[in-house]
Amino acid sequence: MTPRRRSDFKLVVAFSIGALVLVAVGPAVLPDFMINNLVRAFLYAVVALTVDILWGYTGILTFGQSAFFGVGAYATGLVFTHMGFSPGNAALALGIGCATSAAAAALVGWLAFYQGASPLYASVVTLVLPIIVTQILFSGGTFTGSSSGLSGFESFDIELRTWFWIAGAFLVAVTAAAWMFVRSDAGRVLVAIRENEARCEYLGINVSRVKIWLMVATAVIAAIAGYAFAGVQMVVAPEYAGFVFGTELVIWVALGGRGTLIGPVIGTLLIDVSTAYLSGNLPFVWKLIIGVAFVVVIVALPQGIAPLVSRVFRRPLRGGAPRDEVPELRPATETPLAGLAEAGHHAIALSGVRKNFGSLGVLEGIEFSAQRGELLSLVGPNGAGKTTLMRCISDGAERSGGSVLVNDHDIGRKAPHACVAFGVGRKFQNANTFDALTVAQSLRIARTRLETPSLWARDASLDLPEAALKVMQATGLDQFLGMEVRHLSHGQKQALELAMVLALEPSVLLLDEPTAGLTKPERMQIGRVLTELTGRHGLCILLVEHDLDFVREISSRVIVLHQGRIVLDGTVAEVVESELVRTIYAGGGHLAGARS
Amino acid sequence: MSQLLDIVTSAAILYAVAAGLLIVFGVMKIINFAHGGFLTVGAYSALIVTKLAWNPWLALPFAFVVGGVLGMVVERVIVRPLYARPLDAILATWGLGIVLGQLITLYFGREVQFVASPVQGAVDFLGESYSQYRLILVIVAVALAVALALVLNGTRLGLQARAVIMNETLARGLGINSGVVRFVTFSLGAGLASLAGALITPLSSVDPGMGVPWLVSAFMLVLVSGISLLSLGVACLVLGGAQVLVSTYGNAVLGGLTIVVLAALILRFRPQGFARD
Repeated sequence: MTPRRRSDFKLVVAFSIGALVLVAVGPAVLPDFMINNLVRAFLYAVVALTVDILWGYTGILTFGQSAFFGVGAYATGLVFTHMGFSPGNAALALGIGCATSAAAAALVGWLAFYQGASPLYASVVTLVLPIIVTQILFSGGTFTGSSSGLSGFESFDIELRTWFWIAGAFLVAVTAAAWMFVRSDAGRVLVAIRENEARCEYLGINVSRVKIWLMVATAVIAAIAGYAFAGVQMVVAPEYAGFVFGTELVIWVALGGRGTLIGPVIGTLLIDVSTAYLSGNLPFVWKLIIGVAFVVVIVALPQGIAPLVSRVFRRPLRGGAPRDEVPELRPATETPLAGLAEAGHHAIALSGVRKNFGSLGVLEGIEFSAQRGELLSLVGPNGAGKTTLMRCISDGAERSGGSVLVNDHDIGRKAPHACVAFGVGRKFQNANTFDALTVAQSLRIARTRLETPSLWARDASLDLPEAALKVMQATGLDQFLGMEVRHLSHGQKQALELAMVLALEPSVLLLDEPTAGLTKPERMQIGRVLTELTGRHGLCILLVEHDLDFVREISSRVIVLHQGRIVLDGTVAEVVESELVRTIYAGGGHLAGARS
Repeated sequence: MSQLLDIVTSAAILYAVAAGLLIVFGVMKIINFAHGGFLTVGAYSALIVTKLAWNPWLALPFAFVVGGVLGMVVERVIVRPLYARPLDAILATWGLGIVLGQLITLYFGREVQFVASPVQGAVDFLGESYSQYRLILVIVAVALAVALALVLNGTRLGLQARAVIMNETLARGLGINSGVVRFVTFSLGAGLASLAGALITPLSSVDPGMGVPWLVSAFMLVLVSGISLLSLGVACLVLGGAQVLVSTYGNAVLGGLTIVVLAALILRFRPQGFARD
């Protein structure tokens, strides 16, 4: 069956035609000086859009888009200066600019977006890039023109008004494409990354790869803008690749409104054109006003001017599907264990797993295995290492020693998203969701790994595996599909996260206190769902719980963890009757270990 | 030998420039991108002292006070609302840096100007004839490090600052007014940036855009130092030393890139940088 899809195609076409009409009549009504400035501003606005996609939508604060613009411009300047102008050389310059930018972006991405990198570090790398590029240009001597750049090279024989049409059409096309993209299912993944990167990673999304591809794509677009810039202006200078221009782009986006598309475009056009008019008369005062406005907007209006305007006109400019658009829930064609250990013997097998923080040992010699259909409870006092153990199973980089096999695959040092591919689904101790997304959108993010999202449209139906649907129905969440997650109750968030994890179609489910903070009836419901998951769907569930009554009711086996070691591994009856467990939980003050 | 002195004196200058940024980052977890602006303010404070024909040594306390007072205002108006938004704080302080630069340009003009040096010429040091002022800078940097260490470890405010660094929530629960700690820290950081600006002006010229390259170096040094004054010293010696060597044996362009490139690579493979785990 072909899924029905929704998109803003008609709206985007209507908007684009309107904008193109404006561009078409522009040269007829505007003075030459203005036309020249607008050509430049159109190209700057394209680069500002790439900053907005990276920063406004995905949360990557970048100072480096100027470098890609500069690379595109210099490729043109260098080819035309040293090889002369010809149609072939024009194509060559474009190719060199795009390829160099893409390569630099891939390098930046590899450096900036490694597993566990901080957002600050990514910004640092994007700040270093333009500094390196300008220094290279400075040191290029007569080849790059050093600090004065290159000028006077032969370029396209196109009149200014035609350039106006080309640059204007380019801006409209990039804006329209960005519009379709940010409101598509794939575009929503970017917002999910901005909201909660760790959750995305544990939903099996390779966040690093998404960010690197995004970096490469936006770099190429910026390079094309730089190519056109050099073509029309016939001047290139190191400043266009510099860090200060990079921060200016961020300022325009911030003033216009990050996370909207129209805001940064309008912001860039207005500021750049006003700068051209005003900087002649009051150059420093104008820059001062921009600086003050920027500080005021960041402090007092972090979303920029555009949302303010849109609130006045009551028109939603922000990305994301309209709030009332709710997909239809459907059962998915499930492929659990596809390619995994259908016939394998262990769902999970740990041997000699060890974790220490410096000299402090948190886990020592953890050794156990579990089969499909088992509901294994992990109990133990606070600080026994239960949550740490969960981490060691779901993220290969966590443990200090030993091995973890999931469905007979060694997880090695693999990242959480790779562990998800082996069949692990992890629910965190505190409800870990996407506050700014709706319930339906969150579940769609959870399906990203199994159903490649469209880059330009929204699927009109949401296919979920039976278990996830059951959780939704049992907790009544299916009535709230269009509601933003931040408005849900604590219990509903817990249920949503469980449904999201089940939407991954995991075969090994790690649940860290899934019933903490829930009411008794809610707890009973979750308990029933869990026993059904193991009984009917053959999942292996590893459950961390403090509520021993709950554990007793649903577990098929219990492991007691104390001070980082397994002290007991047996049936519910064995554990309940154990003297040792009673001592650990009730009496033994001398046994109460260090809390992690 | 003279190369060794170059390394030590360069490291001392970097240390003086980066120390203010480090304490703000350590206590407030905020990158103050107005650090370059404050440094420029300090340099122009020294220029005022020169123009008034005061004793050049007075430039140091004067710059420190000007920067500190400016820091107090900025903390109240701009930084305080942004505690919970560290990336926005970078942007707002960067915008502030632009504003400071433009105000200075409007008042003092764009041209490059020069400041009187408190001492002139070279002295014989360990058999080398070496710039007297650069040697004095080493003493100043060491004195600065000792003074900061004493404040952090020997005063009540220092104790409170360390408590806020380790666990702000707990510190507040124990009755420490973290707002006051932040206020004092930011003012001190701004004062130190301004002091550093006055310290370096006899070696370089003064212009409204002078702060940016210093900001970038200081920022990278602070990132690789974690939040320790000691590891900042190590970072300044290692990266500053590398910069001197690359500039001498390579070329000036590569030298200018040494600190940023090395710091970015160090952080990639060892995120805690020079700090112990």
